[in-house]
Amino acid sequence: MMQGAHVDLLALNGIVQSQKAFLPMVSFISVCPRRLERMEAVSETDVQFWMAKVVNWGEATSCSALLDTSRHLGSLRSFLQQVLQGLQQMSSTSEAMKTFPFVGQFLGRLCWNPCVIADERSQRLLLRCLSCLYSAEPLNAVEQKANMWIKNMLCHLISEEEGSVAHATVKHAGLTPKRYHSEALQKVVSLMTEEVIKSCNGLPNTSARCSNGNIYVMSTACAALVTCPQMSPLIGALLKHSMLCGTSCLNQEFIKEVSEALISKRLVLEDEAVVNLWCYSPSCLEGAAVSLLESVLSDHETMTQSLDKHVNDSLLPQASADHCHIFLTVSEIYRNVLTEIDENLAVRALIQVFTVCFLQRLTGQKTQDRLPLRAFFPHVMPSLLPPLLTAPSEVPREAWLDHLIWIRSLLQSVMENEAGEDVRAYQAVFQAWFLLVQCGYWVDTAAELLVLAAPENAEPLLWLLTFFHHPTNRGHQRSQQTAEAREAWTHLRMLFLTRPPPPRHLSAVKELLSSSLSANLVLHLFLNFTVFSHGPVSIINEINDKVLTEAAVKRRALWILASIRCRLNSAATRDDRVHSRLRTLQDTLLQT
Amino acid sequence: MEAVLRHLTNILELLAVSQTDHVSEWDRHTTLRAFQWAEYCEQLHSRFQCNPAVRSALESALSDTNQRLQQALPSCSPVMFSELAQCQHMLLIHLLTNPSAPNSVIPILFPDPKTAAQDSQFDQNSLITCKSAFNLLCRTSDRTSYAGLHVEAVVRGKLLGNLLNSVLSRTGNDEYARTLLDSILHDSAGKPESLYDVIAAALLSPDDETNSVVPHFILAWLQEQDGCLSKLCKSLSPGLCTVISRQSREFKQAYWGVLKQWASCLEFDVLEGLWVPTSDEPVTFIILTDRFKELLNSGPPLKEETETELKTLKREAGDFNVKGICIWTDVIIQLKL
Repeated sequence: MMQGAHVDLLALNGIVQSQKAFLPMVSFISVCPRRLERMEAVSETDVQFWMAKVVNWGEATSCSALLDTSRHLGSLRSFLQQVLQGLQQMSSTSEAMKTFPFVGQFLGRLCWNPCVIADERSQRLLLRCLSCLYSAEPLNAVEQKANMWIKNMLCHLISEEEGSVAHATVKHAGLTPKRYHSEALQKVVSLMTEEVIKSCNGLPNTSARCSNGNIYVMSTACAALVTCPQMSPLIGALLKHSMLCGTSCLNQEFIKEVSEALISKRLVLEDEAVVNLWCYSPSCLEGAAVSLLESVLSDHETMTQSLDKHVNDSLLPQASADHCHIFLTVSEIYRNVLTEIDENLAVRALIQVFTVCFLQRLTGQKTQDRLPLRAFFPHVMPSLLPPLLTAPSEVPREAWLDHLIWIRSLLQSVMENEAGEDVRAYQAVFQAWFLLVQCGYWVDTAAELLVLAAPENAEPLLWLLTFFHHPTNRGHQRSQQTAEAREAWTHLRMLFLTRPPPPRHLSAVKELLSSSLSANLVLHLFLNFTVFSHGPVSIINEINDKVLTEAAVKRRALWILASIRCRLNSAATRDDRVHSRLRTLQDTLLQT
Repeated sequence: MEAVLRHLTNILELLAVSQTDHVSEWDRHTTLRAFQWAEYCEQLHSRFQCNPAVRSALESALSDTNQRLQQALPSCSPVMFSELAQCQHMLLIHLLTNPSAPNSVIPILFPDPKTAAQDSQFDQNSLITCKSAFNLLCRTSDRTSYAGLHVEAVVRGKLLGNLLNSVLSRTGNDEYARTLLDSILHDSAGKPESLYDVIAAALLSPDDETNSVVPHFILAWLQEQDGCLSKLCKSLSPGLCTVISRQSREFKQAYWGVLKQWASCLEFDVLEGLWVPTSDEPVTFIILTDRFKELLNSGPPLKEETETELKTLKREAGDFNVKGICIWTDVIIQLKL
């Protein structure tokens, strides 16, 4: 059982509540950049700290120097940023040398540390600092000397020492130095990758310790090089080794850098390597799950259109099918989020789509490799699994109502035990409800059936819908919620079956949508009526235009439609009429 | 063709001037023009590197121009054809190292990374990144697991092997390939041992062991350089020489030749009861036997071939069984064959 995901829920809540939370901050910064920069002076303690560090590191030839450099790369970048900002405010190099007397030594030593130079971001900061110190028109000896020194540094960075074999082989290689070094890098990566893979072939060995030392050093070097495109085979091999080896022999900085680079798309790895990373490092897995959630929440326009593709692209469903613990971790994270952020349709849609994609991958596995479903849903009453985990597309349409009645009776029996307000009973209800959220396609099916259902069949369907939207009997409002659900359904039937749509029912629906406790339930029902009812398109569009007017309602509607769409995508047969309704509705909602 | 030769001459003059104080007159426009010419020159190199006819015409034009420029500006260095591939880089280095280069020129060549486009002609970032990444990785793989060679030598050797392979794949380029090796030898005069490692890696480089063009060529070249092959064999470890011998019949023969030559420099000192070196060659009896021991430890077929060779040498030298007369006898006795 996971200790608890460190999800920054407050931040997430912020994104969820108001998509525009960022704007005021941004405009503040753009209005007064100078003032902020001046406030960040370079402190004397920092200078002493970093000067000691760079002297200690030297040219990073020893393993410990390399390790220490890679550990400090992130904070070094911040310091370099401060130094750069300080230098940018200087009006001349002389002034810069007087204000920052350490800067020559500091930058010079860093230029000789390949671990720092190889890191793209540090390299750029370093070069920008150097370019600040260069004077196009030097006015005195200090500035002329600085220019010469900078030119020397640049020479050193782009060429080899004369008389060395390196220099000679590069000089006559018949290629530009850039191409030569690119090919050299590619070759050394492939040699080292082979080396790692060879040592993988000896694993897992129970007797001898695997050659951890070298793997650790290699991963330390790679920490600085994570975003170099030629590096991905070596990174993949190191991660594969970590999977097979079992002991943690990779540098933590390396893991962190790879994880961040993957999330920010600055690195592309093979799928297998990514999954190996997640197996190796639970925090990387958490990062990936949270990143998926954040990306879904932050861009509702694209996400509601292609949620299943986006979820599949994240590799999480496939990884979950192959590794039970990954599924359990991701489910737990999303379950925690759901308990904090109440009534959030986007999160529910994500959970639903993630589960569907996961189940699809699971059925794609070979039967002998497959774990029993119980393993993936350990906390839930086992009898709930068969009906809920069977998709509606696998059940004939005529049997849907009976299937839903079955589900409802199972859920009711779980709830009956809740009567004593016992914590364990509450947990059981919550787990059952979460499974229903994961298998939300059945709730959507219930809503679809309600569009055409006869009144005598409506009760179990309405019950399911109410339970889905209001699992707890908070404030003992259950009877009121049930009544509202029935009321909404009645109004909607009248609205969509009578022509012309009676204004009385129209305003009743609008009222329920804006003020009631069950706004989401009403919206859910409403949208199903729009998509699945049989009336003429023009009338339906008219109803939509009158009801779906507020921006917040439209946004929530898009999320509900996203779940409907994902369910229809995997349906046994395709109904073009329904699809085109869905399409039209989505387009209208996205327009404003 | 006339035009091309003229352009080549221009570029050489540009490169020469960039090393003198005349460069102080260069402005932004001149500098950019110079780099354009340099880029053109790089294209010339890539088009004609493997074309013997055109290349030799260019080479003789280069040679003439070099001579002329040396007389006029003694401080400037001659340019070889092979260096033309890096014309822009050369020009950049000249401007960076020439104190007379105008101060305004450098910012043009190193534009602010923030504002400059990624693929701009003057973007050095990917060069610097690849170069330092290469350095960094070479350092971390210091376990000598490639037949005893350091990974940096292996990579440089493979790249050298690839270069020679592509040059030699077209007929008429033997002389040029020789020039390349000569230049590399000349320019790494400071550290020949490292060069020998690279050459060893180049000998081992063809992934396809049936391709013996490159090892054959390198061996022929080594044997033309006075004493080079012997120095190479001395510098490389016994283990490494054995590995190369296994892979290349030619090298095996040449290596045996070197060992025989070393043996001929040893003389038996009756008083000490030892074989001692007579010349400046720092070869001792122990070193010699260690070399053979390594060859014998390598397994079939090299083991058997070496045994046979030693026995043949002993027989041809008189087939003595007593120590102190024939070095081969003593070697065989020492190695307990």
